[in-house]
Amino acid sequence: MDVDIKKLAKDLSRIVGKEHVFTDKPTSVVYAKDTMPWDLEEQNIPYAVVRPANGQEVSGILRYANERLIPVHTHGSGTSLVGLARPKTNCIVLDTARMKDTRVYPERGYFEAGPGVHLAQLRKELEQHNALLPVFPGSELVATFGGTIAVNTSAHGVDAALGKPGDFILGFELVLPTGEIISTGTESTRRPAGIDPTKFFIGSEGLLGVLTLLRMRLIPLPHFQHIVASYRTTEDILDTVMEMYRQRIFPPLFFEYLDEKAAKIGYEAVGLDEPEGAVAMMRIHSWSKVGCEDRANNFLEFLKRGNPIEARIVDDPEEWKMVWGSRAEAGNYMYRLGMTFGSEITPRVDKLREAFRDAKDFILNLDSYQGNEFISFGHIGAPTIHAYAFVRTKDIPNELKKAIALEMREKSEELNIKYGGCGGEWGLTAQRVSFLKGKYEKEVYESLVKLKKALDPNDILNRGNLQGWM
Amino acid sequence: MDVKRQEIADTLLREVAKCRACRFCVDMCSLYQATEGVESMAPYGRLQIIKCLLNGALDEDDPIVYSLYSCLQCGRCDGLCQAKGQNLEVSYLIRLGKYLLSHGLVKGGHDEKV
Repeated sequence: MDVDIKKLAKDLSRIVGKEHVFTDKPTSVVYAKDTMPWDLEEQNIPYAVVRPANGQEVSGILRYANERLIPVHTHGSGTSLVGLARPKTNCIVLDTARMKDTRVYPERGYFEAGPGVHLAQLRKELEQHNALLPVFPGSELVATFGGTIAVNTSAHGVDAALGKPGDFILGFELVLPTGEIISTGTESTRRPAGIDPTKFFIGSEGLLGVLTLLRMRLIPLPHFQHIVASYRTTEDILDTVMEMYRQRIFPPLFFEYLDEKAAKIGYEAVGLDEPEGAVAMMRIHSWSKVGCEDRANNFLEFLKRGNPIEARIVDDPEEWKMVWGSRAEAGNYMYRLGMTFGSEITPRVDKLREAFRDAKDFILNLDSYQGNEFISFGHIGAPTIHAYAFVRTKDIPNELKKAIALEMREKSEELNIKYGGCGGEWGLTAQRVSFLKGKYEKEVYESLVKLKKALDPNDILNRGNLQGWM
Repeated sequence: MDVKRQEIADTLLREVAKCRACRFCVDMCSLYQATEGVESMAPYGRLQIIKCLLNGALDEDDPIVYSLYSCLQCGRCDGLCQAKGQNLEVSYLIRLGKYLLSHGLVKGGHDEKV
């Protein structure tokens, strides 16, 4: 596609102002790069990065893009772990960073925020109003509110304890791919019954529109208690989770684990003594202090029946900060020692042990690479197993990195199909189209394509993600 | 290629390759804040630019100079990367990148592969 970059810059400048349009290659490269382990290729590099301030400007960009048939890729903070953030074709990158105004309306029971606000900042602001932000990704320092809802990720949160963040969304202002600005949902704390277009856009991964304002119910900030438990083996933790669901025990808000190897790496990174075996850690929540203590004590009793090496409540906030840090940054700490190739396996809960065994088996017997280690951690109470192929060097050719990542993806998706899961954090398009086609009837994928075409006839937004382009 | 340049380039390429693009460092950066969140004006962006300059994916041009020289060397990104990221001395690496540029030791482009 021939695009006159100077003219593009001039045209976009008319919409958002000259200072908010970048067509230099350094800026384009920086925005295109994501956490995918392989290098950018020429088709990933955007023509321009444009930074609108509001829905009107987003509308102007999308109308222009439709007239010129130039794809637009929406950018939050680029933290997706499955390539959602990397443009699949030369395009205009639409950066949401300037749309970050937040207004809290205690008297209305909700807050409104722009898509570009970072979660850590938003959490801080909400806590001043004694309110909880119901999403907990490891990347919250920089992950955006818009991206979170566009993927509807639970991250550390156990769905059965709190739900998905999208469950608390009351409505949006958003711009359709063809440039029309629409509003959805309600300003009441009572969500609509029946057909509510809000639901179509929650988790739509930027394929159906650009969120420009999000309205979310204010959730009272609960009390928290924390538990840490060590086990002889990871399998003991899996058994505990299976038992928790079987006995219908209300799950903790977080129920995380580090396997034997990940626990050593994580604890060492934060300066704690090396733990014995695998480690599980939980955050219990309740809306009263007494209720929270009661729940924590009951859960501790339940854990002790599972025969851990040790299980205890952590009252010291500084100790919890370190323990939690070992888990929250486990992915980054492991990456310091080499390369990691991840997966997201969310089996039916009674199949947890079998899925874990199969994950270990395929990761230790990859076709694309020999000599890697197996390492795992994750939101096991959800349940999510993040099983990793861990290579203790960064000196791996680009093509090999790609091959390992793709084999990991393909084989972990086979496990999701075999054991009835579909993921719960990383989204379903980008590199997961083959999974969608494999797991569901072909009409499911075809319906998504029709929906996309109905709203985005020129395939402007996030082109390539639904097609499965790399 | 002189020895010093090669030494700096090797150090930079080795260290910058460790950046995982987690972007945890961006919010700490005064320039990122001042530009309302332009990623090429953040520590993460500067590291990526140095990498692309050294591997020939980028040519030396004004935006590169502007991005690297806009770093105030406050070191806030260092603490963040050491605590949560890849334990890089980010501001030192940016300083090395600036040194290469200011001494005319790197021009970028496909003839600059090292």
